Amino acid sequence: METLIEMQDIAKTYTTGGVEVKALSHINLQIKKNEYVAIMGRSGSGKSTLMNIFGCLDTPTTGRYLFGGKDIQKLNDNQLSEIRNQKIGFVFQSFNLLPRVSALKNTELPLVYTGISPSERLKRATEALKHVGLGNRLHHKPSELSGGQRQRIAIARALVTQPALILADEPTGNLDSKTGEEIMALIQELHQQGNTVIMVTHERYIAEHAARLIRLKDGQIESDEQAIV
Amino acid sequence: MNLFENMTLAFQNLKANPLRSSLILIGMAVGIGAVLHVVVLGEMTQKNIKERLEKLGSNVLSISPGFSWRHGQRSSTKTVNLTWDEANDLMTQSNVITGTVPLYSGGGDVAFLDKTWSTQVTGTTPNYKVINNDHLIEGRFFNQGELDQRARVCVLGATVYEKLFKNGSPIGKTIMIKSKPFQVIGLLEAKGESWSNPDDQVFIPLTTAQGRIFGVDHLSGILAQMRTAQDYNEALFDIESTLRRNHRLTDELANDFRVRRQDFFLATIQETNKELAQFIIVIALVSLVVGGIGIANVMLISVTERIREIGIRRAIGAKKIHILIQFITESMILGFLGGLFGITGGLIFNHFYIGEDLSLPLQWISYSFLICAGIGIVAGIYPAFKAANRNVIESLRYE
Repeated sequence: METLIEMQDIAKTYTTGGVEVKALSHINLQIKKNEYVAIMGRSGSGKSTLMNIFGCLDTPTTGRYLFGGKDIQKLNDNQLSEIRNQKIGFVFQSFNLLPRVSALKNTELPLVYTGISPSERLKRATEALKHVGLGNRLHHKPSELSGGQRQRIAIARALVTQPALILADEPTGNLDSKTGEEIMALIQELHQQGNTVIMVTHERYIAEHAARLIRLKDGQIESDEQAIV
Repeated sequence: MNLFENMTLAFQNLKANPLRSSLILIGMAVGIGAVLHVVVLGEMTQKNIKERLEKLGSNVLSISPGFSWRHGQRSSTKTVNLTWDEANDLMTQSNVITGTVPLYSGGGDVAFLDKTWSTQVTGTTPNYKVINNDHLIEGRFFNQGELDQRARVCVLGATVYEKLFKNGSPIGKTIMIKSKPFQVIGLLEAKGESWSNPDDQVFIPLTTAQGRIFGVDHLSGILAQMRTAQDYNEALFDIESTLRRNHRLTDELANDFRVRRQDFFLATIQETNKELAQFIIVIALVSLVVGGIGIANVMLISVTERIREIGIRRAIGAKKIHILIQFITESMILGFLGGLFGITGGLIFNHFYIGEDLSLPLQWISYSFLICAGIGIVAGIYPAFKAANRNVIESLRYE
């Protein structure tokens, strides 16, 4: 399989209040297309920072990050925005939907910035929402929907651009376990349909859904193993 | 994301905070309404003054006697030194003076039946009506024949008519001027006051005034009409040189006559009025600036409230420019709506308060919209930049 992501000796250092904090160091990894990777670690282990770098929301202090063969550090803010827009679908723990607009509008938002025509947007957003099982909730606002349904909107929004990578940051963190399982099943399904998924979690049983598990500790990779299927 | 979508989005966001949006709109509306109102009032006054200037007779200089010189001494009284011949001289000696009218005016009582009114009796020539741009409501002005015959005919100013007749046609009636009977042949249209009241006069042939009423052979004034208002300096020079030569004034002596422009008084008012209007416009503009600061303030609050939204939009692919345009569009719409309400309100107010629909402000209406939208844009720039340059990760985590 083709390589989608390659990290070469990535390090990330923050300076807060004059003190340097090493969030990540010596991160080397490759992720191929259609992999399903879970990243685990305690809070403070650097998994959020890693996630931000994966998602091109942040750039590493040193090292090389290749996304689809492109060196991310050489891109400017606009180009990074384009990558986030077209190549990456985000699913957040707290859903991060726009509260005042409908499921449909939320879902088509990435396409708005891609510059796709309104009619095409409507079509694709409707399809994406049907795909996640919300075909009958198109015009509901997030506040009128349950947590699980909200996360489904977020997943539909992540899918709508047909991205190369779906990044899920604690996707079940704000859901009860039953709803969480449903969302995990949906993500599983997306993976089986050919999507590349990277998921951050600190729950063992959630991580077990993935085919590959990377553990982080103190900003370094502690283990990187394929699950035994 | 096209303009229309940006507008729709902006409207949605403004609707989300109706109270805040409408408060700031009121501020903006009051500002632009005030500006527009002042402009309209100013233009109206200008128009008014211009009309009155036209009625007064344009390009007319008034020459009156001044202090005379005897043996190098200035006399203590104004001495009569203008003659009918001189009035004719002025016209022949100057290229820019197209006509002159000799005048003799004096106070006198006029009476009709039991009513008496103390007014000014002015003897002049038929040309007076032409130069002064006078219009008759009824009847006619006296003619050259009546002037030659020292006829006892008179034309009434509006005030005199008001005092003696009040209503009904005065034509053909006989009134007493300084106890002598005169037949009324015309009634003049009112001109309105300037430094004196030109309507409080009764006009008779100059020959009649000099010979039958006042018993004099000189003039109390000459009106001289210039070709155009631009000829003022040349006309003044011609008048001065002709009269000084006639009066044998040596170089060291000052003029023994005075020349002034008929429209001087109104021109002064016009100037003052302009300055006043400009001053008020500045004040009104200040209120617009305050409105603009209000918009900037609201936009800053709005940015702070929507940090999370900014983070979401940026994360899923909005560029900085998208965020920038989003917020600037919003503040532009605030300004524009403020303008819309202000202008509508202003026009309604004008309609009821002044009771007149004005054709003039159309250009000002478009200016106002531009100004308001401009203020909105300027006010939105800083908040929008703040929004666009926020750190994406921090914005996403913002609670």
